[in-house]
Amino acid sequence: MTNVKLEKVVKRYGAVEVVHGVDLEVQAGEFVVLVGPSGCGKSTILRMIAGLEEISGGQVSIGDRVVNRVAPKDRDVAMVFQNYALYPHLSVEQNIGFGLKLRGFDKDARQELVHEASDILGLTDYLDRRPADLSGGQRQRVAMGRAIVRDPAVFLFDEPLSNLDAKLRNKMRAEIKRLHSRLGTTSIYVTHDQVEAMTLADRIAILRDGEVEQVGTPIEIFSNPANAFVAGFMGSPPMNILPAQVSGDKKAAQLVLDSETSIDLPGLADVAAQHVNVQMGLRPEIIQLVAPGDKEKPRAFVEVDLVEPLGMESLVHAKLCGHEIVIKAPGVVTLEAGSKVGVTFADEDCHLFDGDKGKRLELMVTS
Amino acid sequence: MSAVNHTKRHTTSEFDLPELSVQEKIIDSFKRNWQIYLMLAPMVVYFLVFAYRPMLGLVIAFKDFSLFKGIWGSPWVGLEHFHTLFEDPFFWRAVKNTVIISGFSLLFAFPAPIILALMFNEIRHQGFKRLAQTIAYLPHFISIVIVAGIVVNFFAPSGIVNIILTKLGMAEPTYFLTKPEWFRSIFIGSNIWKEAGFESIIYLAAITGVSPSLYESAKVDGATRFQMMYLITLPCILPTILIMLIIRIGNLLEVSFEYVILLYQPATYETADVITTWIYRQGLQNSNYDVATAAGVFNAVVAFALVITANQISKRLSKTSLW
Ligand SMILES: Nc1ncnc2c1ncn2[C@@H]1O[C@H](COP(=O)(O)OP(=O)(O)OP(=O)(O)O)[C@@H](O)[C@H]1O
Ligand SMILES: [Mg+2]
Repeated sequence: MTNVKLEKVVKRYGAVEVVHGVDLEVQAGEFVVLVGPSGCGKSTILRMIAGLEEISGGQVSIGDRVVNRVAPKDRDVAMVFQNYALYPHLSVEQNIGFGLKLRGFDKDARQELVHEASDILGLTDYLDRRPADLSGGQRQRVAMGRAIVRDPAVFLFDEPLSNLDAKLRNKMRAEIKRLHSRLGTTSIYVTHDQVEAMTLADRIAILRDGEVEQVGTPIEIFSNPANAFVAGFMGSPPMNILPAQVSGDKKAAQLVLDSETSIDLPGLADVAAQHVNVQMGLRPEIIQLVAPGDKEKPRAFVEVDLVEPLGMESLVHAKLCGHEIVIKAPGVVTLEAGSKVGVTFADEDCHLFDGDKGKRLELMVTS
Repeated sequence: MSAVNHTKRHTTSEFDLPELSVQEKIIDSFKRNWQIYLMLAPMVVYFLVFAYRPMLGLVIAFKDFSLFKGIWGSPWVGLEHFHTLFEDPFFWRAVKNTVIISGFSLLFAFPAPIILALMFNEIRHQGFKRLAQTIAYLPHFISIVIVAGIVVNFFAPSGIVNIILTKLGMAEPTYFLTKPEWFRSIFIGSNIWKEAGFESIIYLAAITGVSPSLYESAKVDGATRFQMMYLITLPCILPTILIMLIIRIGNLLEVSFEYVILLYQPATYETADVITTWIYRQGLQNSNYDVATAAGVFNAVVAFALVITANQISKRLSKTSLW
């Protein structure tokens, strides 16, 4: 098992720098997902690890070896491409065995390994077919087969599921997860789908504009986002982020949303000393609607805009102090558009970020 | 009860579109697609005037043609001209030469643009690549008459080829174009020089269509550049190669007639005289229109059979075919 390490990795295309000094360490056997919006440099980083792109600065190591100048074939990595990159003129068996053939495995050894891989992936019945005669999911599996048959030190996946429909994507996602727990190979997986990232990853690295914003386990990232960007990126629907002011002195600091709405938060005192403008983050799931008769007192009021029923739950689009927010409420919600409704949430579920950079602000709750 | 049924049926049929007659369908399609028909028209006219109408003249292959009696006035003679043809040793020599020149062209001139395209594809420096391609395309735009002039000049006793050869130690200059044994090499060689670059465009276009991720995947899998060339590029452009091959085989008997005329001389008839030049001499120089036409018919029938065979074989082997 092999680890992968990126140190201050930079990529420039001509004068344009698209990856700005990325540091990332992937432990042996770990499944790390790189996630971020389109164009943030995920593929570029992956391709630099594979050796398909040259590194403009910094250092990439695989195992104990610095591979900056090592050819792709000598890095002992296997890559699964978004469009699968299957050879149209070769059968499934030949496609899977292609890498072995290039590495000089003889026919029998090749056949054995290919059959083993196709067994794992359920491709045994399709070995004689051409890629053109396969369904999307089967093609995807062939691409996976081509990677696993070589038993590489590291798997690299570049959005391998993005060409599949939602249902198949869920299925293949589970298969990839199963495959990883079976083979235990170090894997780096690129996606822009945060559900894929959450479900597959041991650790997630969130990228923005060629920089790593946060690295952590899915739960860490979800519950302790390092900044407003990460908070807004993960979760579906994403976290609601609202501008607010901290007012009052150390004793009685409050979060002021507008002239009518302000929220008491314990532990604001330290924040109040340093910041005035902040951003408040509330996940749609943790906001509760308060019916008029409830004994709980609403902390704020929202104006309902639209209700989307999803069956088990409903998405309520509403305005909180003029800012659009989404509330995920359990069950069926019957609210008129334009009506006012009270909302509440627990203190510990409220995230705070500073006003300009969006950096996370820890609330010093002394209990 | 029946009245209700009747009205019901009546109302539904009101919403059905009326059945169109064939004539109406044609007019309808014409109205809708007249732009396309308009674009097609010149080609149809071209084929009617220059291909189909002259085909009527083929009947003189079966007639004892005389200019004074005209095509339709001349008496029928059945297959007599074909007998004459098949008994003429010079005709068979022309057939043999055609087949040999075509065969060697297929062997050497057909792969040349493919190899050239593969080589262009390996050039990394974009500027150099463009320059090299342009230089390779240029000869195509030189008129065949001028190419023949250049070739005659180069291979003349005082031409550059002989100068180099004598410098390299050859005793006597050779007059290459009077030597039958040199004709084929010079003919095919200069043809490759003239056309290979231009023909490589088609293959380069096909290569552009190959997904770059195939190469990247192969690179990660450990392929060398040469392996990528023959394990990926070549198989991926095989359909294009086969289509070009079918077309080539269809034209197998069409040895570039003007070029032969420009290069050959009686001294080299032995290897240079091909069916088309033989027809030209029979028909236009010796005024044996009917025998020449018979040879033309023979040529066309064989060529037709060749295209069909090649297409059929390709369809069977690779699922690629012209029709
Ligand atoms: N060959 C190139 N020349 C110049 N800029 C490039 C080149 N390739 C990529 N880029 C730029 O680098 C940035 C990162 O590209 P990259 O393909 O890594 O994005 P990505 O995160 O994979 O996005 P996506 O999710 O859309 O695949 C983009 O802004 C892109 O425009
Ligand atoms: Mg990408």
